[in-house]
Amino acid sequence: MINAEFLMLLGGSGAFLMTLYWVRVRELRERYAITWLAVATLLFLTGLFPDALKYVARQAHLSDPALVLFLALAAIYTNSFFVSVTLTKHYRWNVRLTQQMALLEERLRRLEDRKASGEP
Amino acid sequence: MRNLIVIPAYNEEEALPQTVGRLQRLPIGFEVMIVNDGSKDRTKEIANGLIANSRLPLYVAHLPVNCGIGVAVQTGYRFAAADGGYRYVIQFDADGQHDADFIAGLVEQCERDGLDLCVGSRFLEDFGPGSRSTFSRRIGIRFFAWLIGAMSGTTVTDPTSGFRCLGPSAWKRFADSYPEDYPEPESLFWCARNKLRVGELPVRMFERQGGVSSIRKMKAAFYMLKVSLAIVFDRIRRTEVSLPAPQPIA
Repeated sequence: MINAEFLMLLGGSGAFLMTLYWVRVRELRERYAITWLAVATLLFLTGLFPDALKYVARQAHLSDPALVLFLALAAIYTNSFFVSVTLTKHYRWNVRLTQQMALLEERLRRLEDRKASGEP
Repeated sequence: MRNLIVIPAYNEEEALPQTVGRLQRLPIGFEVMIVNDGSKDRTKEIANGLIANSRLPLYVAHLPVNCGIGVAVQTGYRFAAADGGYRYVIQFDADGQHDADFIAGLVEQCERDGLDLCVGSRFLEDFGPGSRSTFSRRIGIRFFAWLIGAMSGTTVTDPTSGFRCLGPSAWKRFADSYPEDYPEPESLFWCARNKLRVGELPVRMFERQGGVSSIRKMKAAFYMLKVSLAIVFDRIRRTEVSLPAPQPIA
């Protein structure tokens, strides 16, 4: 019978395997894979030990679904935030490379002009 | 003393030849760099064609994609930093709005008053109709002038002016880090906040001769919000005591 615990076990295993596959084919860097492996592990363990989730929910005075929703939103928020940080960093690198390329192209043009006109 | 005039250009095929033509009256010592910001029209070909006929040394850098005015201007600063031989860097619009006759005045004022940034202001003197922007823009400009004054104690009248002359302390820092979108108020605030000497000179501006403004009506609200936030964010940063040296590329 399919229940929430089974779905979590399935989801955790799937996420784990998918992460490993993407790292294996070098489409996902190890540093980012760590986060996704942690999420997969959390899902898997929650499926294996559902009482742990219920214990945390009781301690936090939340219902089980509310706790799951809260954890999911926290994970999405954290991940999205760091994706934004990474995008910003990559944007800066792209800009720097673009500028460098344009400036080197201009320098090359001047060198070629100088060579064409016979200057030393 | 060599000075570099940086002209960021995006889709300026109509106005660029005239703009560069007006600069040819400047004395020896001024050099020009056009930064083509990934234009989709014939700006690239036109800019390349201007090199051979320019009396002043003319350089052209082509950014392969449109990166925005901030990145284009910073490319000019990076070029100056890589060269290492320039004293002042002047930012000058490609659309024909700026009057080349005031460039020497901006440099002289920087020299005379020891300024790190001298902004050409439309509002210090009345040069006639059409020289002071539209009413709605003037409201925005006044708001930024007030915000910069309130947060740095520096009085300015035209913080959005892209006609400006920068001394080495300013442009060497901007070669390393410069605001990306709508950079003029932010960069002015950075200079004021970091105790660089900022001044203004009355200049005449014309109606644009071609191309389109980087700030269109739809973007105006975003522009106001983004720049205001950027200034507030910059206020909470540390004052930069020592300026980082730009990385040479050549």
